[in-house]
Formats: sequence, structure tokens, C-alpha cells
Amino acid sequence: MKARETLIPKPAETAPALADPPPAAASVIGLSKSFGKTSVLQNISFDVAEGEVLVLLGASGSGKTTILRIIAGLEMPYTGKVILHGKDVTELPARERGVGVIFQSYALFPKMTVEKNIGYGLRIRKRKRKEIRETVEELLKLVQLEEHRKKYPSQLSGGQQQRVAIARTLAYKPEVLLFDEPFGALDTQTRVHLRREIRALLRKVNVPSIFITHDQEEALELGDRVAVLNQGRIEQLGTPYDIYSHPATEYVATFLGAANILEATVKNGALEVGGTHLAAPLDGERFHNGDCVKIVFRPEDVVLSKGDIPRNGASTISAARIEEISFVGAYERVRLRLDRGVDECRTDETPYYLTTDTPESQSTKAIIATRPKPEAAAAKLQIGDRVTVALASFTVLPPSKR
Amino acid sequence: MRHVKGFDVVRPLSIGMLVFMMLPLVFLPLASIFIFGTRTGLDKFWGALMAPEAIFALKLSMATSFWATVFNVIFGLFAAYVLSRYNFWGRNALIVTISLPTAIPTAVAGFALLLLWGPYGTLGRFMTPNFEIMFTAFAIILANIFVTFPLAFGVIKPVFDTMSRSLEEASATIGATRWQTFWHVTLPSLRGAIVSGALLTFARAVGEFGSTILVSGNLAGRTQTAPLYIFAKFNEGQIEAANAIAIVLALFSFLIFSVLFFARDWLDVD
Repeated sequence: MKARETLIPKPAETAPALADPPPAAASVIGLSKSFGKTSVLQNISFDVAEGEVLVLLGASGSGKTTILRIIAGLEMPYTGKVILHGKDVTELPARERGVGVIFQSYALFPKMTVEKNIGYGLRIRKRKRKEIRETVEELLKLVQLEEHRKKYPSQLSGGQQQRVAIARTLAYKPEVLLFDEPFGALDTQTRVHLRREIRALLRKVNVPSIFITHDQEEALELGDRVAVLNQGRIEQLGTPYDIYSHPATEYVATFLGAANILEATVKNGALEVGGTHLAAPLDGERFHNGDCVKIVFRPEDVVLSKGDIPRNGASTISAARIEEISFVGAYERVRLRLDRGVDECRTDETPYYLTTDTPESQSTKAIIATRPKPEAAAAKLQIGDRVTVALASFTVLPPSKR
Repeated sequence: MRHVKGFDVVRPLSIGMLVFMMLPLVFLPLASIFIFGTRTGLDKFWGALMAPEAIFALKLSMATSFWATVFNVIFGLFAAYVLSRYNFWGRNALIVTISLPTAIPTAVAGFALLLLWGPYGTLGRFMTPNFEIMFTAFAIILANIFVTFPLAFGVIKPVFDTMSRSLEEASATIGATRWQTFWHVTLPSLRGAIVSGALLTFARAVGEFGSTILVSGNLAGRTQTAPLYIFAKFNEGQIEAANAIAIVLALFSFLIFSVLFFARDWLDVD
């Protein structure tokens, strides 16, 4: 009974005071690592709060696996520290850290049954048989594998093996759960289903978790926060909404799905895109008159209208010609060719003329817009139509440092 | 596709030819042991088998092969672990050296052991006369170890190589020591390889002749193994005596081979 209470804590009866941020359950401070001359990680720091899910998102080679292995104690960092619940574990071997790793291949012990796999952590800790039996029972129920207790891993589906792997780590109450691309080996349908299941499970057990993945959709859905990694550095760390809607760098913007990028010039606290002025809240410290900056916007933030009048709340940037329309299931995807001169930084040296009747052949930049089905049906567009392009929302990337 | 439904002549012809070729090469020699050995009646066969020297030879073969097997399985396990887990300078040279005894003629192996441990050998000359290795059962075990050295290693190492490292890493993160990991995770996965490696080693050691005859001295009732007994009795013209042991050794090989062949599934299945 005691085990049950500690394993699945009841939801806190009073919400924690907002002024008091919860202490970090796990943190890494200034991790760096290199193999020979290639630097794999550069000064990586982040915290994971109790019960939080942090996703490390990055392409292969971004260093995310190395971070995970360093936290698990399977690899040593070159510099930096790993702190678990206030204790510096950097020098401890893997077996003394009490972390739970869910490997991409699940790494279930092939010669042990489901029960034996789950009880392994307690058996090697020499716990009493009764305690082991009770904990295994409880975990089997938690991951809904009661009928499969006597089966061997090879007799289970990928999703079931995954659940055994999680139960096996939960048995010894890990300090933190580390998931190494846990859905990589599964088909699309299963992985979507499974990641929702695991998300729900993690909320129940309230163990801080770190996931690594290269799948942006997975990262956005699973993470309380997401860290986007690129070449061994954290490019941005924030809530899924933040990193999707307000990407800090061009890499983050493009890695997290389709993004349009246009160049613009800072002018008197506003932006000039092509010939049009865009109101934007610009931090005077970072943006100076004449700076060439980039604005990022998602295809779904592009508002198209026939004629000259944009819709309320959206800022017009240009006129464009429709080049291609494709229907992609849930929405319609439109490729537009912007009029010439948009996407060029205006400097005084290069005089610039924007006229609405610029021939399309001279235009330079194509952008992508998507429209939900009802809108596509209500206002039909055809290839060759001229439309006004406005943005419902956009992000300004800071000027590149020179 | 001419023979979609019709009678394919090539099939019975090729099977027949295969059997026909194997007949004088394998089947008939084996059959003749049994035909010849039982020709004079089972009593004679039993009598020849129960001769004290024959029993001694069989027992000695089993005992020496057993200890050689124990040593080579443990050594093979250890060598396979080291050579598949660690990469170091000279690793390939070690792998080749371990596998070398397969290619060395057994008579050369026996001769080499004599040159090392014999009364005037490189090391043997430093031994006291009342503690000699050559011409004792220890010499037979040494010779068996030498010639069966690579067998267990050769079966176990590929299993180590293909074993996923993440199993051992998982065990470590769960909290197991290296020894616990080896005992609970690594060893169970090697069970099949260990059993088949041991059977192969044992079967090969029981039949060893070339090296044994040089190092054992072939002393009846003292250092005469079963194959040496067959050879000695044949030379003495006691064909029945030789034949009885030959039948036992042949049956024994059948047994081991059947276990290896039919129990493969059992050995590998969870």
C-alpha cells in the first residue's frame, strides 16, 4: 500500500504558488563534449521541473542523444555538470544515478518474461519478494499489460514492449525518465496513439521526463517545453506555442514546420517590406534604423484576398500572383509569386520602385499559404489570379550579427 | 517454365546422385562398423566392450575431454567478451592466434607440446622427475585444449558481436553492477552458444588422435584414450575389440550431433 502512494502521487490539492518556481528536478549546467576535433555539444544548460516533460528536438547529429547519454551516465561530458534533485551526479556511474532510460529499441531483456523485466530493478536491489510482487502487479495494471505478464518481449507488439520498458524503469522510482526517440521504430498510426497514451501516463506518475526526437509534431504535442538543438547548441528553449509562433532563429522557424521568410528593413521603429510599412514592436536596443532583418511567418498566417482590401487585423505586405494550388486533405496549399522587390532590404544606394503591374517574370520570391477547407470553398482561387497578401501574425528575427 | 505441373526429372535424378555419391564416402564406412562389429554376435561385442582396458580407455577419454571442455568454454567466453567489447592494438592478431589451432595438423600440435613440456623441452627440463606433465592424463588434457581451443570461442564470439549493447546499458541504468548484468542479462542470451560450443568441443576432444598419441605415450590402462585403444587393438589384430569401441564412439558422435541439430531451436528459444 505504501508503494502505491509514493508511485502515483495524488494531484496536489492546492496549486503551487506562482511566485515560487518549483525547484528543478534535473538540470544540466554548461555541458560540452567533443569527439576528437569535432565539437558535439557546446555549453548546454537547462532545467526540468518536477513532473515536467522537456523535449530535446533536433536533426540527427545535433547532439541530442549525447545529452541524454550524459544524463544517464553512459557517457562523460567534457565540461559541465548533471544535477539530479539537487545532487551532483556528474561523477557517478550509470547504476548509481537512478535514472530510467527508455531506449529506442526498448532493450527489454529477451530471456525474461514481462513480469521479470519489470521486477528486475527491484530484484537486483534485493527487495523482499512480497514487495516486488506488489509493485510489479501495480505497474502491470498501470500500463495495462496484466494479461501479458507471462509473455516474453518477442511475443509483444512494439507498443506493448514500450510500455514494459516504461514500467521497468518506474519500478525503482527513477529520479528522471529519459526517452531516446521512443517512437522511432513504430508506424505513424501507432506512434501517434502511443505518444498520447504515454503523455497521459506521465501526467499520472508525475516523474520529470526528457524526450529526444527529430519529429517536430511529436515535440510540440509531448513537451511542456521544447529545446531546439542545432549542431550541439540550444537554439531556443520554450513552450511549444512559443517556439512555433515566435521562433528565435531561422533554423528554429524552418525546423518546426513550413515557414516563409522575407527580408525587411528597419525604418523609424517599423519595418519596410517592399514598399509597405509593417507595424512591429521592435526592441530599440537590438534593432537600429537601416538594419536588414528577416520576418518569419507560417503558411496559415498568410491572409489572401482578391482585390486591394485586406482583411481586418492583418497587415498587407504585397500583391502576388497565384502560381500553384494543391489540395492536401485538411487544407488547400497555395504557392504565390510575390511582386518584384519584396524580400529585398532597401538601402538608399539601391533605388527601388514597386508598381502593382510589375510583370511576374521579374518577380523573385515565392511564398506558401494554406487555407482551411471552408475558406477555400467560400473564396475560390485560380492559378493566375492576383491577390493581396497580408499577414495575420509574424515574427521578426533579430539582425544577424556581423 | 516447362515443368509447371509436369514431372520434373531433374529432381529425383539429382537427389539420387547426391545419395549415390555419399554412399561409398560416408554411409558405407559408417555402416560397416556396425555390420562388422555385430557380425559375431552381441555377446562378443559386449565382451569386447567390457574388457577392463576398453572401459578404462573410454573413461579416460570422457574425463580428459570433460576438463578440456570446461577450460575451453570458460576461456572462450572470456576471450569472446574481451575481444568483442574492447578495441585495442593487436586485437586482430589475438583473434587469429586463437583460431590458429584449427589449421595446425594435430600431429604438429602434439609434437609442439612435447618440445615444450617433454623431459628435454623448453620448460619441461626445469621440472622435477616426479612431477612430469608429458605421458600423463594432464598431457592429454593439454593436447585436447590445444586442438579444440577455437571451437567454443568461435561459436560464442559471433553471439557477443551481434548482442545489442543497449541491453547491458539498460541493465546498468536500472542499477545493476557489471557482474549482475553479466549474470542476469548477458549470460542467458549466450546459453545456446555455450551449450553448442561445449558439445562441439567435447565431441572433437573425445575423437582426438594425432596429438594425443604423441603426448600420452599410449600406455594401455594408464594413458590410452579410446581412439588410441582402437588403433592399438587394430595393430594387434584384435579387430573385434577395436570395433566395439569404434561403435561406441560413432554412436556417441551421432548423439551429440543430434542434440546440436535438433535442439538448436530449444537452445535459442526463450
